[in-house]
Amino acid sequence: MKSSLPTIPDTCAIPGTPLSDARAGIDACVHCGFCLQACPTYLTLEDENDSPRGRIVLMRALVDGSLPVDDGDVRTHIDRCLGCRACETACPSGVPYGHLLEATRATLTRVKPNPPVARLILFAFARPALLRLVMLGGRIARATRMSRLLSRLPGRFGFAMAMLESTRSAVKRARYVPRSDAERGTATLLTGCVMEGLFAPTNRATERALSANGYAMTATAGQRCCGALHAHAGDDEGARQLARANIAAFERSRADYIVVNAAGCGAMMKEYGQLLAGDAAWHERAAKLASRVRDVSELLAEAGPRPGGALPVKVTYDAPCHLLHAQRLATPPLRVLAAVPGLELVPLDGSEHCCGSAGIYNLIEPDVSDRVLAPKLANIAATRAPMVATGNPGCLMQIGAGLHRAGMTCRAVHPVDLLDASYAAQAAAERGS
Amino acid sequence: MTASTLPHADAALQARLAAIVGERRVLVRAGELRTYESDGLPGYHARPSIGVFPGTRDETIAVVRLLAELGMPFVPRGAGTGLSGGALAEGVVLLGLHRLTRIISIDAEDQRALVEPGVVNAALSRAAAPFGLHYAPDPSSQTACTIGGNVAENAGGPHCLKYGVTLNHVLALTALLPNGDVVTLGNADGECEGYDLLGAFIGSEGCFGVALDVTVRLARNPQAVRTLLADFSSLDAAAHAVSAIVAAGIVPAAMEMMDGPTIQAVEASIYAAGYPVDAAAILLIELDGAAAGIDADADRVAAFCREAGARGVRTASDPAERARLWQGRKKAFGAMGRISPHLVVQDAVVPRTKLPAMLAEIARVAAEYRVKVCNVFHAGDGNLHPNIGYDATSPDESARVHAAMAAIMQACVAAGGTITGEHGVGIDKLPYMDSLFSPATLGAMCALRDVFDPARRANPGKVVPMHSCREWHAAPSARS
Repeated sequence: MKSSLPTIPDTCAIPGTPLSDARAGIDACVHCGFCLQACPTYLTLEDENDSPRGRIVLMRALVDGSLPVDDGDVRTHIDRCLGCRACETACPSGVPYGHLLEATRATLTRVKPNPPVARLILFAFARPALLRLVMLGGRIARATRMSRLLSRLPGRFGFAMAMLESTRSAVKRARYVPRSDAERGTATLLTGCVMEGLFAPTNRATERALSANGYAMTATAGQRCCGALHAHAGDDEGARQLARANIAAFERSRADYIVVNAAGCGAMMKEYGQLLAGDAAWHERAAKLASRVRDVSELLAEAGPRPGGALPVKVTYDAPCHLLHAQRLATPPLRVLAAVPGLELVPLDGSEHCCGSAGIYNLIEPDVSDRVLAPKLANIAATRAPMVATGNPGCLMQIGAGLHRAGMTCRAVHPVDLLDASYAAQAAAERGS
Repeated sequence: MTASTLPHADAALQARLAAIVGERRVLVRAGELRTYESDGLPGYHARPSIGVFPGTRDETIAVVRLLAELGMPFVPRGAGTGLSGGALAEGVVLLGLHRLTRIISIDAEDQRALVEPGVVNAALSRAAAPFGLHYAPDPSSQTACTIGGNVAENAGGPHCLKYGVTLNHVLALTALLPNGDVVTLGNADGECEGYDLLGAFIGSEGCFGVALDVTVRLARNPQAVRTLLADFSSLDAAAHAVSAIVAAGIVPAAMEMMDGPTIQAVEASIYAAGYPVDAAAILLIELDGAAAGIDADADRVAAFCREAGARGVRTASDPAERARLWQGRKKAFGAMGRISPHLVVQDAVVPRTKLPAMLAEIARVAAEYRVKVCNVFHAGDGNLHPNIGYDATSPDESARVHAAMAAIMQACVAAGGTITGEHGVGIDKLPYMDSLFSPATLGAMCALRDVFDPARRANPGKVVPMHSCREWHAAPSARS
């Protein structure tokens, strides 16, 4: 029988680490458990250690020193987090879980580095020339149909090839020149690493669709990887370096908006202020830049968007976690799809759950990733839609690869591609009449 | 033998459990067991010796039979959302049942469902929705808590004002007794004959065994619903409105009160419901039933609120707004983390007529002990939930919070109330049992427990203070 409330020691076992700085966020958790059913790894693995509440308990244990930073179980369960942040949109107390996760990973990777494959990927994404070379190799493998052949191989390599194969454009469209009255201001596109490397037609579609909705598009030289992959993997310093480079580059652009068509990158850039909170020289610049960042669906939804020509197709929508949970944008992508006449939107069960892509998670935690992907594919199949729209390259490739490897004919497509195709159809119809 | 002196799990036990449930489902290391040290009241934590998580009915039976064979105590746990420390396993085996998530059948015509204990409360209502049915008991944690846990705690919720608690919605269950016997309690097809063992089992807080499956009643969705939000400038006025509504013979489906600090915490959260942030209290009142006459009742309720001093009364205009108003209320407990780093929540019941006086007393206690109390509770039932936020790193504040809680509980008991409405006794309310029940009554509870679990291995040390049972057994002559 407890005769009084237990008190807890007010000590910090890991002073000066990113996690100790994030302690207030840990304290916001009251252990209510409302996050459990929102968490894809909890639902899949059925262990509370693989839930937000369980991971926060582990974080707290690191701070108070009751578990050491090199505890193997702590690392396992922190590594297994997708970082989808679905718990944030379930949390009444506003626990900044994504921030806590990144701070924890930044603390743990100082003790034991990430696996080599993760470090290799982060290394490449931080070096533009190397990255261009890798993307070129990918495009050659895709053009020569090597990716299709190799996607039949078992294991992660085969899956990676299926991801590459799935980047083949899913929509056919005629060329058109969008009207551009620039009444809504100017925007410049974060071209992105994977987007420009493997989804370049989607980037062009983004520019056309925004032009068609009254945004004058300008280009920004000197931009780099947004740093999201680095931040998520605990390489906080790598993320900050990339953020500083992007801030400098986009400051040179006079555009009103920095528009992003990759949900994960947009979420990162909107949080540049927080990422550089401890950097006196950059914090203010970072916050100012972040305030200019918009997802493409936000800008389009603000403009309507303008309806296009008929595109009779059945489409289901899967919400990218970093759009829905991190940026809290639920309806703008649906408005983009609603602007396509003839497009029939079929609801997707569990569209708010992660697909298992999670940056480079699907390459370093393949087993859990596959298990998270399985119900997503089943739900997509149940809609019988030939297309699933989602606005993030990671999700496009994860779902696309899953569909490809399962032999399903359904294709993953960016919502903007569908709007662009609708505008192209409209232009073709006008030319024909 | 007390729980803390029990032998710790050894490698042999680990191996035998792993042979039943698989290696991954037996946890022994400190890093893996940490999260299972607490339920929804993390001020209390206790380290289990071992955690075992069966995935099927057969595995569950095999685990419990093995523990019976070894004479080892165990503590059942669902989703760990309980608020009385009931699922704490100090030095003993923790038996997690949250993986038993099958909804075995839904019988829409007879309005019942057969579910495993790990099914989440809200998931059951979701599954029943296509048939126009729902599971009526709706604890605020319903998006996370399990039916098995609801049975153990006899869980309530806002709508139990009209529809009753878990006990009123369970028709039958298959119980696995601590000795490994599988027994059927109640009757899924109708009235149960013989002694009401089902009634005894529901609310037994895991001390009588675990449920392997539960047959629950599903309620038909009401024809019409009206959800009113009344806004008051004092708690006292809101409490008087509650009394007036009940005295007039109106039975709302739910009648909930939230005070100013709670409203502000919710409105700062993702569950912001549009509550007036400058109100001292709001009442969330729901009427449901036949469409005929419901608007007249809603008008009467609104009139009673205004007479009691409400600044305004509005009605949810559509199902989406209604859902928002309820989400705000149900997530209020979780939102308390915005106020203080640590939290205790109380669960006391007073006769409804005593509500105004008790709220005044709580405010007086809060001032006396200099603690921050947030009130969010089931006003229609007189079921209070004072939440006290504090900083557990401060021994002084912790002591004041503890003293304030005790003072509030004693005041509730003195007012003719009781010490728990729906959260259970667990370990949190143990110290108050003696003030509420006579030794003979506590002895009767011990005797009942002996029927289900004579070795007292299931959830040891909870609900009835150990000394009561000891005294009961030590002096059999005192029973006559």
